[in-house]
Amino acid sequence: MYLEIARRNLKRQRMRSVLAIVGMIIGVMAISSIGIFGNSLKMSTLEVFGGVATEIIVYPSYQDGYSSIDPHTALKISKIPGIQDFIAVKSRTDYITVRKERVFGTVYGIDDPGQLVKISRGSLVLSSSNCLAGAVLAEKYGLRVGSKISINGYSLRVSGILKEKGRSFDINPDRGIIVSEQTFNRLYGGDYSFIVVYAGSVTGVKKVSDQIDSVVNRRGTVVKIWEMKDFLESINRAFTYISRFLMAIAGVSLLVAGVSILNIMLMSTIERTKEIGIMKAIGASRSEILTIFLLEAILLGVTGSILGGVLSIAGGYAIDMIILKSAKYVFVSKTFLYIAQGIGFGLITAVVSGLYPAWKASNLEPIDALRYE
Amino acid sequence: MEKEKREIVRLEKVVKTYHMGEHTVHALNGISISISEGEFVAIMGPSGSGKSTLLNMIGCLDVPTEGRVLIDGVSTAEMTEEELTRIRRDRIGFVFQSFNLIPTLSARENVELPMIFRKVGEKERKERAQKLLEKVGMGDKSDHRPSELSGGEQQRVAIARALANDPSIILADEPTGNLDTSSGNEIMNIMKELNRTGRTIIVVTHDPSVADFAERIIRIRDGKLDVS
Repeated sequence: MYLEIARRNLKRQRMRSVLAIVGMIIGVMAISSIGIFGNSLKMSTLEVFGGVATEIIVYPSYQDGYSSIDPHTALKISKIPGIQDFIAVKSRTDYITVRKERVFGTVYGIDDPGQLVKISRGSLVLSSSNCLAGAVLAEKYGLRVGSKISINGYSLRVSGILKEKGRSFDINPDRGIIVSEQTFNRLYGGDYSFIVVYAGSVTGVKKVSDQIDSVVNRRGTVVKIWEMKDFLESINRAFTYISRFLMAIAGVSLLVAGVSILNIMLMSTIERTKEIGIMKAIGASRSEILTIFLLEAILLGVTGSILGGVLSIAGGYAIDMIILKSAKYVFVSKTFLYIAQGIGFGLITAVVSGLYPAWKASNLEPIDALRYE
Repeated sequence: MEKEKREIVRLEKVVKTYHMGEHTVHALNGISISISEGEFVAIMGPSGSGKSTLLNMIGCLDVPTEGRVLIDGVSTAEMTEEELTRIRRDRIGFVFQSFNLIPTLSARENVELPMIFRKVGEKERKERAQKLLEKVGMGDKSDHRPSELSGGEQQRVAIARALANDPSIILADEPTGNLDTSSGNEIMNIMKELNRTGRTIIVVTHDPSVADFAERIIRIRDGKLDVS
């Protein structure tokens, strides 16, 4: 019955209640939508970086005068237990002749590049006379399986076209080619540029990288070890902070909504002073008056928060489409977490805003309240 | 021989002082009254004489500055706020000059309200409210909102509300003040009928025709009993 009384009181000032609810909707929507967007931003960024958390990249320590990793060191690394895949990479930037045009690109020498790239056409198998062409290079110059290219007069047949890899911390072959290590040695010779290893599990990453450090860097720093996991974690952290910061800014709008509830509830308390007096005269206790008024604020909060929460899916969708040009991260389970969070904050705001007016109403002296005109 | 009636309300040298800025107003100035169970008393006096203040003291809406107000032998000054609330809810029914119904509630819901505060179950509450409305001749308008009722009808609903928790005392502050003569008479007849069934009625009025319904008239002037 108290709920019904509260509902009718809100209906009495319909426009005012509707505006307070709109404020609440905007506040909750802002928080949830931005939460959803922040999560989408994080997920899309992690996707760009491949997201292979078990990847470890071993570079020569340039600061200590090493520009490459020698085969002996590479062999030592390959024998470390806990490594699932070991890929030694040689690389050089050079002019590649494609259809009589000289194009500047990266030439990678990798025997088994299957872990690092995906094939779109042809085959990944490398021999002494063929190569794999990067997606951008292939598209720009119309390369197909069977096309010919040459480097320093050395002719190679394109046996596979790679899928576009995008930005990456290991290899970036989109504008270059991959040849076998043997072919690379014939072209340039030299040691390894870096080594990519994959630990068997995410939890094994630390152990493998410690092992590499203790085996290779025993007498001075020969290599630098870089864990993809650390990087992914720091991206994750950074985006979580960004997301929280944005949500905090959006929180200001919820605060404003809270103030508007406080405002209308205070006005309501003053306008209904006499009514409070009547109810007290006929036997309402403080807690009953408090309940009625608090319920009004909660009703505003619940209505606004739930509507805002539901609408924030549309809000998140819109922001994602505008900024990320894709809505594929909107419909993930985390979205519901952000909606729940927004609704939760909305309810808390409504209760906090409603408490003071309700307390004030409940503390009116019946005799003074009755005399109020 | 008439049996000695039990004292239900007793005021002992009650003083009520209000401070309005620098002025001190003595609304009540040492009033002593005794009212027995089942009496119909009219409190009369010119405006500003303190008669409404007196009614508010009896109705536990206000407590005296000095002296004592006893309801059933218990001093209101010694009661906690909770106890005062409970007495107002269970022992006293208020009828106001301006009816004071809650505008958002229907007639029946207004009558239900004191029972809601007393935590009476919904079914019992609704039935009793309907019965009370029928008793005051408002049975067919129980779903009307106060704004859809005439003054006399609103006051009948207010009386039904005052009876909700079956109180022993009905306090009415100028109950006919906003009504025409015939509506006023009907209201006073209902009051008389309530008195006949054993309820103590205390009516504040400055209208002699209202006071005629009472069996005893207490006159006050300037916050004191007027015995002239």
